[in-house]
Amino acid sequence: MKDISRSVPKEDHEEKVSGRALYVSDIQMADMHYAKTVRADRPHARIRNIRLPELPEGYVVVDHHDIPGANHVNMIFEDWPVFADSVVRHVGEPIMLVCGKDKQIIQSICDEIVIEYEDLEPVFDLQESVVHKSFQKGDAAAAFARADQVVERVYETGYQEQAYIEPQGFVGYLEGEKKVTLIGSIQCPYYVKNAVIKTLACDPEDVRVIQAAVGGAFGGKEEFPSLIGCQLAVAVHKLKKPIKIIYEREEDMIVTTKRHPSKTTMQAALDSAGRVLAIKAHVALDAGAYIGLSGVVLSRAMLAVTSAYTIDHLDVKGDVYLTHTVPNGAFRGFGAPQMIFAIDMFMHHLAKHLGKDPYQFRKAHQAKQGDRTATSGIFRDPILMDAMVEKATSMSDYHRKQKDYASPDVYRGIGMSWFLHGCGFTGSGESDHIKAKVRLRKSDTDHVYVLVAAVDMGQGAKTTLKKVVVETLGVPYNQVTFDDPDTDAVPDSGPTVASRTAMIVGGLLAQAAQTLKETWKRGETQVVEKTYRQPEFVIWDEKTLRGDAYPAYSWGVNIVEVSVSPVTYEVKVEKIWSVYDVGKALDERIVLGQADGGIAQGVAYGYLEVMRHHGGHIQHKNMTDYIIPTAVDMAPTETVIFDNPYALGPYGAKGVGELSLVGGAPAVAMAIEQAIGRPIQKIPATPEMIMELMRDETH
Amino acid sequence: MVRHVIPSSYREALVHLRDGSFHIVAGGTDIMLKYRNAADLPPRFERDVLYVLNLDELKYIHVEEGVWRIGALTAYETLLDHPEIPDVFKSAWIDIGGPGLRHVATLAGNIANASPAADGIMPLYLYDAQVVLESCAGSRTLPIDAVITGPKQTAIGPQEMIREIIVPKHDFDVATWVKVGTRKADAISKVSFCGAIKVESGVIKDLRLTLGSVAPTVIRARDLEATVKGITLTALEARLDALLDAYAARIRPIDDQRSTKHYRQQVARNLIEDFLKQQIRKG
Repeated sequence: MKDISRSVPKEDHEEKVSGRALYVSDIQMADMHYAKTVRADRPHARIRNIRLPELPEGYVVVDHHDIPGANHVNMIFEDWPVFADSVVRHVGEPIMLVCGKDKQIIQSICDEIVIEYEDLEPVFDLQESVVHKSFQKGDAAAAFARADQVVERVYETGYQEQAYIEPQGFVGYLEGEKKVTLIGSIQCPYYVKNAVIKTLACDPEDVRVIQAAVGGAFGGKEEFPSLIGCQLAVAVHKLKKPIKIIYEREEDMIVTTKRHPSKTTMQAALDSAGRVLAIKAHVALDAGAYIGLSGVVLSRAMLAVTSAYTIDHLDVKGDVYLTHTVPNGAFRGFGAPQMIFAIDMFMHHLAKHLGKDPYQFRKAHQAKQGDRTATSGIFRDPILMDAMVEKATSMSDYHRKQKDYASPDVYRGIGMSWFLHGCGFTGSGESDHIKAKVRLRKSDTDHVYVLVAAVDMGQGAKTTLKKVVVETLGVPYNQVTFDDPDTDAVPDSGPTVASRTAMIVGGLLAQAAQTLKETWKRGETQVVEKTYRQPEFVIWDEKTLRGDAYPAYSWGVNIVEVSVSPVTYEVKVEKIWSVYDVGKALDERIVLGQADGGIAQGVAYGYLEVMRHHGGHIQHKNMTDYIIPTAVDMAPTETVIFDNPYALGPYGAKGVGELSLVGGAPAVAMAIEQAIGRPIQKIPATPEMIMELMRDETH
Repeated sequence: MVRHVIPSSYREALVHLRDGSFHIVAGGTDIMLKYRNAADLPPRFERDVLYVLNLDELKYIHVEEGVWRIGALTAYETLLDHPEIPDVFKSAWIDIGGPGLRHVATLAGNIANASPAADGIMPLYLYDAQVVLESCAGSRTLPIDAVITGPKQTAIGPQEMIREIIVPKHDFDVATWVKVGTRKADAISKVSFCGAIKVESGVIKDLRLTLGSVAPTVIRARDLEATVKGITLTALEARLDALLDAYAARIRPIDDQRSTKHYRQQVARNLIEDFLKQQIRKG
């Protein structure tokens, strides 16, 4: 059998390179109408009155009065209104849509709408906890009682914007009297469908969601599109015309979900030999105006508390706070980047505090196969971190550079992060909530259709999932078709999130393909379905957050080398080395693509990407002011993939998508820390912050 | 309704300017942003628009005795391709936007837009460039710092347009450009710096420093420069702190979404210090 990792041309390569791929804004329909969102311009206020201009014929406004069902977006926590009714809770909160045929007239109507508000006191500090979670491992209290010393550090992280190439957008239209069809730039067709069903209070067959070509998502098209989808579905019913809504870039950056700013307090109980006996951690996430997915983001942050280390006693707490700011949500890594930054920096800082070599100190606490995880589950599968760290340090010449850059006048530094990422939904989410189902349909001409809801947003899902089917069946590539998902045609295989697509959806497709192969009847129509069943060894208690939080973990090592200018305090990333264990690469080039993109985003999160709000108004709302790395900023990368096949993954594959992001920030922060000889406890480590640290100004 | 006028000659353009009130579009890279509308809708221009971008008469680089004359509509990429333009200009201009933008953006447009963060105009201050303004009534030549009078404010009259930029030649020993923009391409400057020096037998014959993005207009303190002309590098070393303090008093940066006043102030000082210390070390 040939090696599955050998790369094939990407399934969507031709259509994207040729320009044939249809993104939402490319879709044309006869009698197309357009919609624009009227939004709140203040963080917290009661709507007193709305004065509309006289609307020309064929133009309508759509607001909460038009919603037949529930005025909230169906997601984990149902507090997020489809349209604001009496109170607005963040700048940019949607109040109504203005719809009609001519964009200029729509714009003029929007300009003439007068909304009278009564301002209410906005909250921007983390003071109102709306979700609290905690879990314990061992007996942290006893360990702290017998500790030789206790060390505390606080770590803070800022916003991060997904900055997908293509802004949010949908086209919606009626099929017949009551069926609404939405074509969107989305990650999760069934999230949108289920949300629209609740908002319209209609039957499932009256909502159809089709994925258009997606120009990047990074989590930003996980839950947010459900909001637009619900609004547009209501508008389509009211106007009874096809309607297109495409966000402007600034609008998108002001109103869509971002990575949660966080503040993590870490306390370690150390014994007299300088080993970590126990850790107490508290992570605070700023949810913005609505909870949405924040509780789940909090879980993933908390579960990553010891990352790639084993600590026997833990007391872990977390809170989600509401503020009158744009709601935060899903973003590649989903809470893990915040915590992995905190724990990896903390381990490094503990070693320095103790006067120990950080490398040896971390090595002494490294997680090994058979160890208990943070939630008292078990690391069942082999952990290759010894070999991976050895590979990463030797290819980067880490140990020599670590010594050479210790002197203060070289302004160079090298930093290393070790990390893991849990694959798939947290705990029993896959079996309790998602219940993924995949389908293969073979026509009477023996052509096979892959029917799943997984979205290719550039990450390569179409290629890898199809490859699993093709290789398992042993048929040529052109005998298998994988069209963009349409909820009228595909079963709900779950959302395209949480590094679950290759492992969970791919695993089910491999099973389905195996069954189809075994039962193959030439010239006959056949359908094979498989539904996810949780591996029996996974035991998880959602209430106590105890047990196996994930069926499998991917592992990684990042090393980043930087130089810092003592004149301008600017950071230049010189080179990045990475080693990953993703089980088995389903396509080497796709994994390397994920690796380069992820580390670019992860490192930039640590030093480059600044987003703040002022009084609830996002200050960095375009690509000029929100600085993401360009091709010339991106350092050369060297990436090595280790094989460590996971028994339940297709061909041994585990999760890939988020792993390459989560370790970037601590690695670059540690490198900057060495270059400037001052500790970094807050990211992004901007030139402005580095200046204050280098000049020993209080921060 | 806004009128869109495309003149077929420079002379015709001046006649239009005499008879109407126009936005002038050269490369359009600033003005299209300034008046942009929602996607798919035409810009919200406030006045009629005169498109001069096709006037080949104003696309030239003449190398003459003692000066370069740069036609107003010469695109940055054309300037970058010219073999005799000094490196300090090219290093500043290559930092403007991306290649696509530089193929249409012009030096004259950068002057007329009068942004305190404009990279393109910084070396013009260093070289004491002059700007030729012309209208149907005639032409006048002003030094660059008399043309740009404040942020987004110029001395260009409503009937005038820039015809050319005259850059005197200099034989500086060193002329450098530093852009502090946080990333290496497509960034707007937080602070920018140009420094040039001419030294003979250890004595400073000429020293020029310019700073961008730290005051309403580009800073070039000729009075402070004069205090070090004629002194030795050794004497400069002794006076360095006093000179830096004097510059610091001229630097009046602001806090904005891109950086802080404090950072701009400190980095501007560091850039001057770093440049001067390098010259002192070289002796």
